[in-house]
Amino acid sequence: MSTINFAAREINCKIVYYGPGMSGKTTNLKHVFSKVPPHLRGEMVSLATEDERTLFFDFLPLDLGTVQGFKTRFHLYTVPGQVFYNASRKLILRGVDGIVFVADSAPNRLRANAESMRNLRENLAEYGIDVRDVPIVLQVNKRDIEGALPVEMIRAVVDPKKELQLFEATAHTGNGVFETLKSVSRLVLDRLSQNK
Amino acid sequence: MIEPSLALYGDAFDRVDRHLEELLAATGVRYCLLVDRKGFVLSHKEALWAPRPPALDSVATLVASNAAATAALANMLGERTFSEQIHQGENGTLYVESVGDQALLTLIFDVSVPLGRVKVHTKKTIAQVAAILQELQDAPPMQFSEDFSKGASALLDDLLG
Repeated sequence: MSTINFAAREINCKIVYYGPGMSGKTTNLKHVFSKVPPHLRGEMVSLATEDERTLFFDFLPLDLGTVQGFKTRFHLYTVPGQVFYNASRKLILRGVDGIVFVADSAPNRLRANAESMRNLRENLAEYGIDVRDVPIVLQVNKRDIEGALPVEMIRAVVDPKKELQLFEATAHTGNGVFETLKSVSRLVLDRLSQNK
Repeated sequence: MIEPSLALYGDAFDRVDRHLEELLAATGVRYCLLVDRKGFVLSHKEALWAPRPPALDSVATLVASNAAATAALANMLGERTFSEQIHQGENGTLYVESVGDQALLTLIFDVSVPLGRVKVHTKKTIAQVAAILQELQDAPPMQFSEDFSKGASALLDDLLG
């Protein structure tokens, strides 16, 4: 559950963008950073390698405003997608309140999508969490690339039971980015008021 | 829920606040933050003479992530944890020490402040704050009404379209 600072009247929620390497997680955050008014967002912190691959995480704090006297804030994180950074990925999942799974539409990335979802399930399980206990939305990104895989094919490998809300996106143009974020935020806030 | 949530209630918050204030006065550090393991600031104090602090959200996030990475390293090396971290630069020092399994006490200070003095006073504060956080574990969870969700959704519409 979210961190609630009752005395300071603050509610903080942690949302993590998860998915295979180069699927567009950082691009999602960069778009949010570029479009949200400066007074509603903090600094964007990126811990990346020289070739701009995420090494540890990207971080962007976002102020929603005041709800019933509580300043409500989302902390957005990405994880490194590359397979060998699993230790970092697992650490970033600590205390997660909601997850955006960013799948890659490139034809050669179907297996990478499936493996990343399996990795997410395993990492959550190591914290004793079932994947169904955390609000998750599925973003199928890079819809503009040539030969993009059919959405249903991607869904079949990452969400075969069709349990997740799905959004098509092209993060580098911003298409679908806010819709995805809004959806996961709403799920997190609903859960907060249901006190789960 | 992967990490337990922390909700600082009135009296507990005031007491934590007071201990941080005392620590600030006793050590002469610039900034003093209590950060939870998820990277959220629970309480912070700054000396009157200190310049405007850096972005606290970013500091807290990086401190918590660094502590998590350090703890993972400790486990790999057969230790339960490394309870303190010290980062010394040319002009200043960042000192982080665990407050039980729940939080991290973070102090930022100039080279003129002796590290030994900071360590002695910090340990005393940690014992006091840890006891308060322990009490909070038995506190009832916060309740938010359906109206909260509706109000938040309206703000989401404003922010994200």
